[in-house]
Amino acid sequence: MLANVTTFSVPKRGSQPEECEDASWVGPDGSGAGDFEIGSLRIVVADGASESLLAGRWARRLSSSFGTGKNPTRVKSGFIATYFAAVDEWTREMAEYQADREERGVPIQWFEEPGLTKGAHATVVVVEFLEGQQGAPSFWKAAAVGDSCVFQVRDEKLLASFPMQEVGAFSHQPPLLSSRGGENEVIRRHVRLTSGDLDHEDSFYIVTDALAAWFLRLAHAGGRPWEPLRDMNTMDFNVDFESWVNSQREEGGMDNDDTTLVRIDLY
Amino acid sequence: MYSAEISRANPTCFVFLLDQSGSMQDQIGSGGGQRKCDVVADALNHLLFELGIKCAKEEGVRDYFYVSVIGYGTNVAPALTGALAGRELVPLSEIAASPARLETRTKKIPDGAGGLVNQEVKFPVWVDPVANGGTPMSGALSRAQSIVSSWLIDHPGCFPPVVLNLTDGESTDGDPSFPAEGIRQLASSDGAALLFNLHVSSDASPAISFPDNEAVLANQFARDLFNLSSTLPDGMRTYTQQQGIPVSDGTRGFVFNADATSIIQFLDIGTRASDLR
Repeated sequence: MLANVTTFSVPKRGSQPEECEDASWVGPDGSGAGDFEIGSLRIVVADGASESLLAGRWARRLSSSFGTGKNPTRVKSGFIATYFAAVDEWTREMAEYQADREERGVPIQWFEEPGLTKGAHATVVVVEFLEGQQGAPSFWKAAAVGDSCVFQVRDEKLLASFPMQEVGAFSHQPPLLSSRGGENEVIRRHVRLTSGDLDHEDSFYIVTDALAAWFLRLAHAGGRPWEPLRDMNTMDFNVDFESWVNSQREEGGMDNDDTTLVRIDLY
Repeated sequence: MYSAEISRANPTCFVFLLDQSGSMQDQIGSGGGQRKCDVVADALNHLLFELGIKCAKEEGVRDYFYVSVIGYGTNVAPALTGALAGRELVPLSEIAASPARLETRTKKIPDGAGGLVNQEVKFPVWVDPVANGGTPMSGALSRAQSIVSSWLIDHPGCFPPVVLNLTDGESTDGDPSFPAEGIRQLASSDGAALLFNLHVSSDASPAISFPDNEAVLANQFARDLFNLSSTLPDGMRTYTQQQGIPVSDGTRGFVFNADATSIIQFLDIGTRASDLR
């Protein structure tokens, strides 16, 4: 089975593209788009917290670590080991960052110090696809902390919604992975795992919270939120992602937030 | 209501009114020997510090807020000092970039082994203690009303502006309830402007945060300020409750001899950063 993957991302209105604090990884190499054998495919979407310093950089660190980590979706211990590896890498990255600031003559300022001490925070969702061997069924598995989501659509129906199922559950205080790490047992309580089967022509939408909340609201109202996402940037719907997101912010009740979509069409 | 985003594309304004009257020379009642003018100046510097940290990003602070600091005592006038002296409404990035000075203070932090260790932190100072003249609170509230009114003309869809009055409550220029009402009647499309009060008092009664009725307050000045204060909107009430403070529909934006920095945490600029628990 093959997968065609496309990634879209747009910053919060009023921000520059380089200020976007969402990050994504499309595996096996983080290339962001293309056609893949599903057995080699891993998708990560991470969303840095607005009130966190260096949140975009931490989201990129998480997406890269979870893109290459071992077994992050199969067992919680695999997820946690990958997270701790990201924390270790971050510690090295921060030492370099602070040295670079000194070198450039822009030392850390008073308003940055508390944020650096507190650490950066982000949500993450990881999806892996497993090709069934010798006639066995194919599966997908996912792991998440926070409110970045994966939606599976089959035959014009929403088949799976993970980890969020209800619009009312979105808030400004989702569970977040801190760059300072944490206690194994506490993290384990917040890691969510799921899995499901795969069929030819399934579609997956892996998204950050503003788009996820919009998607669930419309789906629960009987709509088909996947339609514009499925057709985005195609002959059927020749509208670019940024224009569409802006129109939904204006008229469709979507929050003004950094917004990322990774679309996967199986074939 | 009270759900408009606060962003650079849709900023809001924060007006701080700082009582600098002669009565602020007196000591507060909760011990420690501090003068009221020391307490409010320190509280204001702390509020601006928290606001700056809340909006800090790499190498800068984002202009989610425009800030006004008006002092009232000998006269009613902008009270920021240093490079920002005389400025009435200042983008937060400029506030962060231009404190009058940076002090080094000592803070106790966990040592990771169950104890505490001292850590030196930089603490910016924008205002110094002042205690002179009468207490033209009505004039100060009128000035805030004018600032908020002008802001709303240019930002009709903003999160409602917040006015925080730091005072001992002893107004000497008439009944402040009229200009206070004038502030509370101003509104954006997202709701009415909010007037909160931080009361520093010589009264030795226990500190009180966000009460829901005046009967718990020990003196008339506190009760008067409570009655000038806006009730907390739903989101702020929920946040207050999460901090372990009982709330009801009548909970107001009023604190008595207590820390007011939670008012900064009331304001949502996006996902809040906190560790897993």
